[in-house]
Amino acid sequence: MSSLQRRGVVITGVGVVNAAVVGASPALGTWLRRPRAAERSRAVGAREAVRLAEATLAGLIDPGEGRRLARVCRLTLAAARLAVAEAGVDPAAGLGLVVGSELGDFTSTIAFADGYLARGPAGLSALLFPSTVMNTMAATTAIAVASRELSLTINVPTISGELAVARAASAVAGGRVDAVLAGGVDELDPLVAEMLDVLGDDGVRGEGATFLMLEAEPVARARGASILGRIAGAAWRSLPARPWGVGRQVASRAIHEALSRAERAAPGWLYASASGDAPRDAWESRVLAAALGPRRFPTLSLGAHLGHHAGLGALHVAAAAWTARTGLLPDAAGGEPARVGGCGLVHGLGRGGGQVALIVEAE
Amino acid sequence: MRRVLVTGLGAVSPFGAGVKAFWAGLAAGTCAIRPLTLIDAEGFRCRIAAEVPEIAAGSPRRSRADRLALGAAVEALDDAGLGGEERGETALVVGAVGGGMLEAEGWYWARARGERAPGWAAALRSMLPAAHGETLAHRLGLGGPRHTVVTACSSGAVALAEAAELIADGVVDCAVAGGVDAVTRLCFMGFNTLKLLDPAPCRPFDRDRRGMSIGEGAAFVVLEAFEHARARGARAYAELAGHGMTTDAYHVTAPQPEGEGMVRAMRAALAAGGVAPAAVGYVNAHGTATPQNDRIEARAIGQVFGSGRVLVSSIKSMIGHTMAAAGSLEAVATILSLTHETVPPTASLTTPDPEVDFDCVPRIAREAVVEHAISNSFGFGGQNVTLLFRRA
Repeated sequence: MSSLQRRGVVITGVGVVNAAVVGASPALGTWLRRPRAAERSRAVGAREAVRLAEATLAGLIDPGEGRRLARVCRLTLAAARLAVAEAGVDPAAGLGLVVGSELGDFTSTIAFADGYLARGPAGLSALLFPSTVMNTMAATTAIAVASRELSLTINVPTISGELAVARAASAVAGGRVDAVLAGGVDELDPLVAEMLDVLGDDGVRGEGATFLMLEAEPVARARGASILGRIAGAAWRSLPARPWGVGRQVASRAIHEALSRAERAAPGWLYASASGDAPRDAWESRVLAAALGPRRFPTLSLGAHLGHHAGLGALHVAAAAWTARTGLLPDAAGGEPARVGGCGLVHGLGRGGGQVALIVEAE
Repeated sequence: MRRVLVTGLGAVSPFGAGVKAFWAGLAAGTCAIRPLTLIDAEGFRCRIAAEVPEIAAGSPRRSRADRLALGAAVEALDDAGLGGEERGETALVVGAVGGGMLEAEGWYWARARGERAPGWAAALRSMLPAAHGETLAHRLGLGGPRHTVVTACSSGAVALAEAAELIADGVVDCAVAGGVDAVTRLCFMGFNTLKLLDPAPCRPFDRDRRGMSIGEGAAFVVLEAFEHARARGARAYAELAGHGMTTDAYHVTAPQPEGEGMVRAMRAALAAGGVAPAAVGYVNAHGTATPQNDRIEARAIGQVFGSGRVLVSSIKSMIGHTMAAAGSLEAVATILSLTHETVPPTASLTTPDPEVDFDCVPRIAREAVVEHAISNSFGFGGQNVTLLFRRA
């Protein structure tokens, strides 16, 4: 039934750029041993949020690119390059790209509109216009890393990062491409806070990018790549909800499908998409309970530490690979990690009813 | 891999609601590009677009683009005869760019004037491209895998390719897939700023072409696994026999000058369908009418099929460039060209470009029995998609 039964999908590289972690899988692993919440500031209006220091980002991108690229594109490119470098993949052999984003280049879009509102047609910038299309991060990154196979930008509230990884895994498993760079990215913009207030979303917001290199297992092994983890099953579904709304239905199929594809009965532990958006978080808890039964699984979300952004879901997948390798589930309070066993479930449930489940296990 | 059939069609186009109106307009070679009414075009060089004349579907409280999408998706589902039980397992893939930006712009413009426009919460909820998928899934009871792809002007075609993969891989038996976009200020102003719009209706493949015309609309199709369609006795319009998706990795807005990525997409689609170039009789071109696109696309088609070896036309000459909807509207037009045994014209083509060595079906639709046809869609970011259809 599933494409994921045909070809194994492994993670061979990770790139993380956010306020708490900058680096490849070793840097992420160091932070996960004792995760500390990144500092929050009044970066977006009156709302507390987790913002990446500009100087940190500037140090990751060469000055020429820094001048030419919008901030969200720089975030994407920095994380993507870290993942490519760790994996040691040769893009000339065929590389795809799947970018998840909730808001795209929102800052450039607002700047483009402001130009018109300030000066009429003469105030419009031809340079900014392409950035109003949400695939601008994929476009600039594809050029920079020479990704010439499929290139997708996936938009969905809350779960863009997880869904991008799941979609990329299915492309690799189905034999359509041997390697795909997949992850999520978002940046903060002051107008976002105003919009979220209107929409009743009071979760903690952050910004950053996380990308993973996914490869077909036989291809990765043949070239002697270090394998960081395996995506043994992935599925995504739709639960009924109004746009940006929280639904009531708790019965879902994504978790069972992902477990079935991984030939697992249950996960040993979970990474969930809780972000402090109370109605959505409560809905996800009910959905997980309905799918997994009364047993309480060790569960973690890093949303409160890093602030919600599309990179977070992809970071959860990378963190799950670390947990699967080490048998350690981080303590949200920064204490000693807990010992866990078995495979991990990375779960995402978004406003609007998008749901995704990935089963992650050690090599 | 399982075979994928097209069993339902739906369209809301500048010719009005419904596939019938869409095909009647195309077959007659009617140009639907007229003075722009939806937004203020004062001060811009181009002031025309192909607007949808009337939208019957959905509550007026929904975004214009959501209503376009609902009209097309409902028609496609009804056409396929997919019932409520099957819809619960049906996938939904939407190609989108502008989302509900037309209404969100209204909010932002009012905010800039220091006003609070009514209904702004609804406008913001519907602003993102993903909102169409949420609306369609919620309203139509589509409970299978759902995702929204944003690949600029190729989004609608990518949606069909994505859905076809879900079916071919055995993840689902049925999928609703398509693209939608309404005219927005950002899009209209942006293409004006890039000087890519012709002040007069666009003329793809014409020697004197001067750029694109903006359009709007939506098209959705029901795709179905061959065995599933046969088992329930569904009518098939065509088989989606293959697709190719590639990236130029060359420039954010300009296509690679030799059309290398376009060539790879077309060849990948043919290879996936096991179809030789000589078996293809018609290319529904991306054909935007910009000097650069049409020249490069024609060169790429020539590399794949041989100069002059296929009929080529662009329906953008009639409905403009409908952005994220373009790939799916053009896919529906391609399918209908197979079933009606008629190739839609390049309506405004009067002086063929000598650099375009193809019969681009000038002005008048052409009767032609074609076994295989492809539809090309390209977008900012060097995103190339080719869909290959086979007569059912």
